[in-house]
Amino acid sequence: MLTADGIHLGRAATGRDDAIDQCGRALLDLGAVEVDYLAAMHEREASLSTFIGEGVAIPHGTDQSRQFVKRTTLVVLQFPDGVDWGSGNTVKVCVGIAANGSEQVGILSALAHVLMDGDKAERLRSAADTRTVLDLLQSIDEENSQ
Amino acid sequence: MSSIDGAAIKKVVIACDAGMGSSVMVASQLAKRLKPYSVSVSHTPVNDIPDDADVVLCQSTLLARARKSTGDTVVLGFQSFLGDPVFDRVEAAIRDGGSLDD
Repeated sequence: MLTADGIHLGRAATGRDDAIDQCGRALLDLGAVEVDYLAAMHEREASLSTFIGEGVAIPHGTDQSRQFVKRTTLVVLQFPDGVDWGSGNTVKVCVGIAANGSEQVGILSALAHVLMDGDKAERLRSAADTRTVLDLLQSIDEENSQ
Repeated sequence: MSSIDGAAIKKVVIACDAGMGSSVMVASQLAKRLKPYSVSVSHTPVNDIPDDADVVLCQSTLLARARKSTGDTVVLGFQSFLGDPVFDRVEAAIRDGGSLDD
């Protein structure tokens, strides 16, 4: 679901649209989505920003676009120079999501915990290797954890 | 305006547009906070909110869409995905009892 080949560090983007395109292409390259999913990611972003705070956005498609998801997959793209996300927000990490089930829940739970902890959030934004990202975003099973 | 007593809250539903990203983030945080009170927390697309939800939370910009299908259920909006004050209100009502109003 989140694997080393879905983590792309040290990227640069010309803007929000380019960053979302890069997330979509990363999902496409992994065979997780059909190409139509990319348009849905832009549609979702235009209707409601996926910026979630701490320099992180979680681009994903719309409810209708689940039909273009072949396999629930997450990708992580890091933009060290920051991407202007509008409304005064700057994004340094995108977690691109393609989901047709709920297998992504554990990793998004881990992401929430990382972002609630300032030090961990900074480690994610400045990660220099994929191992660091994988360690930070290890799936958490809320149902069975304390 | 709707209201519910905190003691009667057993099922909290987080709704977002697609139900695959934003609502999952919020649901995971709330599930952890509400775990001691045996309250279930789930996430859904805003067009698919279950009838038996006691409280619905969604991004403020989705409030109107959420209320189309929720009747007199309490629907609360949040601005921030991380630690919005409304999460504290919900937890306080469940923990201490008292009315939760939208």
